Amino acid sequence: MNALDGALRPLERLVQRHGSRLARVVMVAVFAFLWLPIGVLVLMSFAEGGVLSFPPEELTLRWYGAFLSNDTARRAIALTLKISTVATAVTVALSTLIAYAVDRFEFPGKGLLQLLATLPIVVPLVVTGVALVLFFGTINLGSGYWSVVVAHVVRTIPFATLVILPTFLTFDRRLEEASKDLGADELETFVQVTLPNVFPGILAGGLLAFTISFNEFVFTYFVKGSGQSTLPVYIWDQIRYNVTPEVNVISVVFLLVAVSMVLVAVSLTRVELLARR
Amino acid sequence: MAEAASTEERSTGRNRRVRALVTYLRDRRRLRTSLVAGPPYAVLVLFFALPVLTMLVISFRLGSITGPFTLDNYANFLASDTYRTVLWRTLLVTVEVTAIVTVVGYALAYSIVRFSRRTTLLLLLVILPFWTSYIIRMYAWINILQSGGVLDSTLVLLRVVDGPVGLLYSQEAVLIGFTYVWLPLAVLPFYASLSNMDPDLIEAAKDLGAGPIKAFFTVTLPTTANGVVTGIILVFIPTFGSFITPRLLGGTNSIMIGMVIENQFKSAFNYPFGAAIGMIISAVVVAVLLFGARGGGTLFAGGDGP
Repeated sequence: MNALDGALRPLERLVQRHGSRLARVVMVAVFAFLWLPIGVLVLMSFAEGGVLSFPPEELTLRWYGAFLSNDTARRAIALTLKISTVATAVTVALSTLIAYAVDRFEFPGKGLLQLLATLPIVVPLVVTGVALVLFFGTINLGSGYWSVVVAHVVRTIPFATLVILPTFLTFDRRLEEASKDLGADELETFVQVTLPNVFPGILAGGLLAFTISFNEFVFTYFVKGSGQSTLPVYIWDQIRYNVTPEVNVISVVFLLVAVSMVLVAVSLTRVELLARR
Repeated sequence: MAEAASTEERSTGRNRRVRALVTYLRDRRRLRTSLVAGPPYAVLVLFFALPVLTMLVISFRLGSITGPFTLDNYANFLASDTYRTVLWRTLLVTVEVTAIVTVVGYALAYSIVRFSRRTTLLLLLVILPFWTSYIIRMYAWINILQSGGVLDSTLVLLRVVDGPVGLLYSQEAVLIGFTYVWLPLAVLPFYASLSNMDPDLIEAAKDLGAGPIKAFFTVTLPTTANGVVTGIILVFIPTFGSFITPRLLGGTNSIMIGMVIENQFKSAFNYPFGAAIGMIISAVVVAVLLFGARGGGTLFAGGDGP
């Protein structure tokens, strides 16, 4: 042990002296690793010569134009929005009910409800995706629009609940008492006191649910019927069979949607809330 | 005017009915609870629990989802050298990815917590890539790693290599891709446990003569073990079941177990066999979760409210 300590001592001194410099190197390196690929995507979406012309000699908006006049891509976006908005609405309603039930009530099966609302995050997507296909096949629901919506709801409930539940748990119930003492009835108290306080959390949960649903691939890929290509499925087909520079453009669109959604969600709650998972 | 008045009347009429309902429910706790908890319960049981059970049942059928019951699917999987190799390789890749992500992610979380004041901004920079599409993040790496891609061009420009290297479609590409997608996921619990830790503990260890390295291994790491275990679980499980990354970035010798399932459902159409492999993956997941629960990882929402 002492020999080991002796051997460590110079190293200890080195770390002691250069700790903060080392930390800065780590941060710069990892953030470069996380963000350079995204920068490359954005840059190459403007590259005249397509994805294999790095560094691009000329920048152009040509691929953006091609994307905007691409009917298949436009249909894919429309379908994605049609699925995501409906799934998000359902998920927000259900997650709010879960949060309310877990926060306010004691009932048998409460632990199981929390477990069921968390497991879809934990189980590998391919497993749940396959399970849903088999289930829909068994009950003859087939693979249409609603199957995909249901799959998206299952996928997004855990994330929305993870954000909405803490806003209920941290809400100061004494405000409700005060409201009732001042003569408001239960409904007024809920609409005028409880709802405004938990609303930012619900909205944040909804934005994240929408972001996930908008990006959802695995469940959709397994559950969808033929001709039901959401944008991520469309990109998958493009990548696997014929890459065009348009894929970079679509990627940039995705990035913008996700980044703006998450930034709004974060401004509504705390960034640490998203870190609790 | 008259129209406005009648709208108002209607809305007060509706209010009165809502009020009556609220009063009615106030005295009936059980009914109220089932009205609130019932719908999400029903949806999760019907569209999550039941499908998994359906998969379990179908995994014992032969050939089609209505075939006769059999154990063949499991027996065939375990008896096949090919599938055993795939399973073993999947485990190996998963362990490698988990190790890399844990070390790099912990180093980043530690640097942010101890050496930076702009934690909110940095945390945002960590999570933003995570919320973008998985496929697109893989596609970004295709841009970079493919033969003649960004990495090759850069290396040639810097005169490190003469011709294209083309790292795409290799085991290394798969490792890079996985590390890229799961790093943010692991940083979050690491960050949470590190920022909850009392920094005085480190000072105490140093006052008692420990250097920074010794203080790290005897104080910081054991104190944040829960966060480490949570991060490991969060990376291990999705990597083990993944098919996208090896399909897009890997070569012929990086087939993983998730791809075998995808194959059963997209081209071979032997659903029961795919279901059996799904059950095998689930068994691994349950084992990892139980192991994690013993290690003190916390995964379940709300149980440990803020």
